Amino acid sequence: MKQYQVSAAEKKFIGSHILVAVLALAVGSFFGPLQAFEHAGWDFYIYLKPFIKSYYQGLTVHGVLNALVWTTFFIMGFLTFNVIFGLKRPLKNIVLNKVGFWLMVVGVVAAAAPVLMNEATVLFTFYPPLKANPFFYLGLTLVVVGSWVEGWGLIITYLGWRKENPSERTPFVAFASLVTFVLWQICTLGVAVEILTMLLPWSLGLIEGVDPQLARTYFWFTGHPLVYFWLLPAYISWYAMLPKQAGNGKMFSDSLARLSFWMFLVLSTPIGIHHQYVDPGVPPVWKFLHSMFTFGVFFPSMMTAFTVVASLEHAGRKQGGKGALAWIGKLNWSDPAVASQLLAGILFFFGGIGGLANASYNVNLVLHNTAFIPGHFHLTVSTAVTLSFMGISYWLVPYLTGRKLWQPKWATIQAWTWFVGMIIFSNSMHVLGLLGAPRRVPLGLAPYVPAEWNSRLFQVGLGGAILFLSGAIYLVIMYMTATNKQRVESEVEVPIAEAMQDPALGPAWLDRWAPWVYAALGLIVLMYGPVLFDMIKNIALTSPGFRVW
Amino acid sequence: MAKKDKEDDEFRPTGTIAILAIFVVTLIAIWATIYMILVGRGGTTL
Repeated sequence: MKQYQVSAAEKKFIGSHILVAVLALAVGSFFGPLQAFEHAGWDFYIYLKPFIKSYYQGLTVHGVLNALVWTTFFIMGFLTFNVIFGLKRPLKNIVLNKVGFWLMVVGVVAAAAPVLMNEATVLFTFYPPLKANPFFYLGLTLVVVGSWVEGWGLIITYLGWRKENPSERTPFVAFASLVTFVLWQICTLGVAVEILTMLLPWSLGLIEGVDPQLARTYFWFTGHPLVYFWLLPAYISWYAMLPKQAGNGKMFSDSLARLSFWMFLVLSTPIGIHHQYVDPGVPPVWKFLHSMFTFGVFFPSMMTAFTVVASLEHAGRKQGGKGALAWIGKLNWSDPAVASQLLAGILFFFGGIGGLANASYNVNLVLHNTAFIPGHFHLTVSTAVTLSFMGISYWLVPYLTGRKLWQPKWATIQAWTWFVGMIIFSNSMHVLGLLGAPRRVPLGLAPYVPAEWNSRLFQVGLGGAILFLSGAIYLVIMYMTATNKQRVESEVEVPIAEAMQDPALGPAWLDRWAPWVYAALGLIVLMYGPVLFDMIKNIALTSPGFRVW
Repeated sequence: MAKKDKEDDEFRPTGTIAILAIFVVTLIAIWATIYMILVGRGGTTL
């Protein structure tokens, strides 16, 4: 059966997102290895002094461009594609989506300029009282508002589809993409309020001081669900695309997949205070409650692990795989899109474990603000998410451009080098954290480094070097693919794995929005209402801004 | 509409259960290791 045809204009629009994402990754990734090299004692920043003034400026460029820009643009493009292709209909109002996209682009330029000019060396968390140039905050605001506008464009497209198909189940890839957008719309209210009511007027001189505790609480209202905004698009691919690519497998359970997305929507926002266990201004009772609900997210995470692995096992057994684990070898490892995502999933196995340790109220005291934390999130956002997105781009870019993937073997090598580099880098960061090494510190310059850290610091540099090589291969493949003169013989098949059971036979309540959205909002009010009310009632806009760079 | 094949009916994700069991054992081992570090650093004393 011929697949749904996405229009050329829409392909170009989606491709524009991927282009901005990859450009951000190119610049941001250049600085990642520089942090790692610095830890190993190889300080390249001294050679970059005319352009990059400090380790912290490089760290800010790396965090903002990779964690915020690469992810957000790739996600907006990929989810826009999913909604169009899933619903089999064009965008209802592409102008609205384009307005959103350009707001985001203007926002990125506005935020990146002061970062590159050393006027906003505040790291990607931009905690006050570190004070950035107003354009940094304005730019971030535009990125968020632009993403909202794009999301509204997708929601009205869905409403148009629903009007014509009142009793049909929403196709999974469109459904899951829309849930991700709604999660984003809700959770970004925290950072929007933080910037608009405090940071922007403060940086413009309209108010004299800021309340760092309240600002941090607003930030983590957004900051933790941001992790799920990154992860859910990768999950969509793992659930609904990867089984097909890995061996013509089927999604094990459409209902479990839908339920897990609803649970992520409900549970991922009202748990942000687990990032603030050592903040003195947050009462312990709220830290405890948020820690308990954080463990609630373990359930949809395990449901995801079960369903995705079962779907892959189905694919592996269809290819003749036997035994408890030998079917893994029968998956289509030679396809770089598959290898990337399987390797991303394997490392996420350990990322999930580290996340549970971070979330534990007691155990967190060993890990808080140590190198364990960047070690952890390089397994999540930098591997589960980034390596998956790289894998997705290995079929999506040829699909969008009509050009053949350049050197698929090199793409597979890229996935493996990322995997090996990340194991070396992340493992040594985890161990350093357990040994007490702080995060966000140029350890190459620190006079207190004990001898037992040295071998691990070298491994951080080694892992960073391999990751740098892998990132460079990815960028070359993307460039060569986008300009490849060899065109695909026929349109690339979009890999959609059908579910084992007809989704129409699943419970109807899994396709109803109101109870889940009300539950998400209700839980936010319960879990954040009292603590935010108290903080706002006792707001202390007293801290002046600091420029420590 | 998805077809439910006979082989789908017979499919039992035994390998998946094995992988998740390994995951849970690893999780407990790593969490307990960090917990023992906490205790070893005097985390139980005021």
